[in-house]
Amino acid sequence: MNINERNIKIWSTIGARATLGIAALELAKEIDNLMVLTCDVSTSAGLDRFRKTYPEKYLDLGIAEQNMIGVAAGLASENFNVITTTFAPFQTMRCCEQIKVNLGYMEQKICMVGIASGLALGTLGYTHCCIEDVGVLRSIPGITIISPADSLETVKALEAAVKSETPSYLRLTGSSNNPIIYNKNYEFKIGKSITLREGKDITIFCAGAMVHKSLEVAKILESKNISSKVVNMHTIKPIDKMAIEEACNSKLIVSVEEHNIIGGLGSAIAEYKSSLTKSPKQLFLGIKDTYSKGGNYKFLQEKHRLTSNKIVEDILNSY
Amino acid sequence: MSSKKKYRDIFIQSLSIDEKKFNEKIKYNEIPEWDSIGHMTLMSSLEEKFSISMDTDDIVDFSSFEKGIKILEKYGVKF
Amino acid sequence: MKIKETDQIKNIKNFAFQVRKNILEMAVSAGSSSAHFGGALSITEIVSTLFGCQMKIDKKNPQWEDRDRFILSKGHACLAYYAALCEVGYISKEELKTFEKNDTNLLGHPVINRNLGIDFSNGSLGMGLSLGIGVAISSKKKKKKFKVYVIIGDGECNEGSIWEAAMAAPNFKLNNLYVIIDKNNFQQTGSNKEIMNVENLKDKWSSFGWHTTELDGHNIQDLQKFFKESKNIDKPKAIIANTVKGKGFSFSENNNDWHHSILSKSFHEKAINELKKNNFK
Repeated sequence: MNINERNIKIWSTIGARATLGIAALELAKEIDNLMVLTCDVSTSAGLDRFRKTYPEKYLDLGIAEQNMIGVAAGLASENFNVITTTFAPFQTMRCCEQIKVNLGYMEQKICMVGIASGLALGTLGYTHCCIEDVGVLRSIPGITIISPADSLETVKALEAAVKSETPSYLRLTGSSNNPIIYNKNYEFKIGKSITLREGKDITIFCAGAMVHKSLEVAKILESKNISSKVVNMHTIKPIDKMAIEEACNSKLIVSVEEHNIIGGLGSAIAEYKSSLTKSPKQLFLGIKDTYSKGGNYKFLQEKHRLTSNKIVEDILNSY
Repeated sequence: MSSKKKYRDIFIQSLSIDEKKFNEKIKYNEIPEWDSIGHMTLMSSLEEKFSISMDTDDIVDFSSFEKGIKILEKYGVKF
Repeated sequence: MKIKETDQIKNIKNFAFQVRKNILEMAVSAGSSSAHFGGALSITEIVSTLFGCQMKIDKKNPQWEDRDRFILSKGHACLAYYAALCEVGYISKEELKTFEKNDTNLLGHPVINRNLGIDFSNGSLGMGLSLGIGVAISSKKKKKKFKVYVIIGDGECNEGSIWEAAMAAPNFKLNNLYVIIDKNNFQQTGSNKEIMNVENLKDKWSSFGWHTTELDGHNIQDLQKFFKESKNIDKPKAIIANTVKGKGFSFSENNNDWHHSILSKSFHEKAINELKKNNFK
């Protein structure tokens, strides 16, 4: 992949979904047995060009997610390297049992990509939002779960997941004009969190679209003399335990996610943290177990207190 | 360089069109290079090279080379 | 030619006899864990025709790359599957005795174990045909000639995912894919008619684009005939196999109590005697 300043900027403008399409095109050049399966979402996942360029590597299963996973598993069992993709709620929950049986139980190696996860499609209502995917999939053994922070990380995560030996789920959040976190190439390793900012008072664990917000939050907190470490926990499962242990040197741990606070990143951190003998309090920021009324992305982030100002407020109240 | 030539060059470069194949009558979705991905790449390049920031409506309306000229003129580009 | 056919039929009938014998042994050794007796017996002739003759397999190598693939989507009928794999030589008679015991390879639903010839984990109904589609597509992409045979249940046709797959296969022109619907007219707690009727299966599958037939699922000749005659048809094939749940023993035929139950020693004895007497040979 040509990772340069120009491409990073383009990928940021077009958003993670369209970047998925570009990344798939590049991977198809080097991976001969790559197959991409979708459920009538080629254009939504930036895969229209892929479909036209590599028709033999593309299968559209129509609006039938359960069948898609079974077909993917059949292909994977015959040594094809399979990517599946559709909107996050349908990718993870409509065919959840197929994921359990095929990816979990039978360990068929498939890389699933859930597009428009979180609140990005709020104007379409919560049927098209996804605040449950991480929680649901975490309880299926053997599935790696990654939430890339920006479009470049989407490219790197997809490449890593496709080249790995285990089944995985990539959760794409954000919309077009996806803020840039990484403005040049960097090392991405599944399972290894990335500290984007050092700090000694608070550790903020974040993933996906909340990484950018968390960096903004850290800047604001600094002006209030609170020094914050910001850790991009892109791999939610398996979670980076060492990063959690290191965070126990802080006075407060904050988890920020565009997901229900039940079951997602915060829960994954708390599960490990609670086994440690000494650890600070954890503040769970995210969607507080509710489906609100719909609205656009910005509106919903405000509503769920996932803007930098509201996150700062909540942290100050807990600190 | 004239704006027109700059504009042409941006089209050719960002859509990766063969210069010999390029003509000023091209429209969105009528050539394989100008699909939805190509479109966003083109818009991004135009904004960068002309130092402008287009409204979503204009990005959606930008359906041909010729139409694009009128849209850019709105943002102060002189052709 | 006629002699050859009769010999072939004889062999398959013999195979089916052994399968029923193995089913009885596994069911009695399962003891109080119970076994899905009825639904295994209804597919015995089908499974015997497939493993005893129709499918291209290598008796010495369960993972032979060019083997025809088999998927038991109605995974609870695994007694027949394990019994057949034993007859082929992939599973030993000793291993059959471990059925449903702790730490066994042979649970009450198949668990993937390619050394034993078990290609997939099945049991959650409605998933096997999709797997079959993926495998059939792979065959074409790799330019191989292997075929894919999937057995599903009539109750299993309640599952929406079956119809997703039914819709997809003709779209992908999978003429190398066979689905056999074990129409024994029962599901777990009653007849299909009582629980969730699945009328007109032949019309349904045919209208989805499958080359469909309806036949007696215990008539080996009819099964053979269909496989032969449909070989060059350019569509996926569906067999609505009319079968008898619990076929082979007087106490279990069409008796839904034997969907999942304990085979006591006395019933086991009765069954062995009937097998010997009604020896299908």
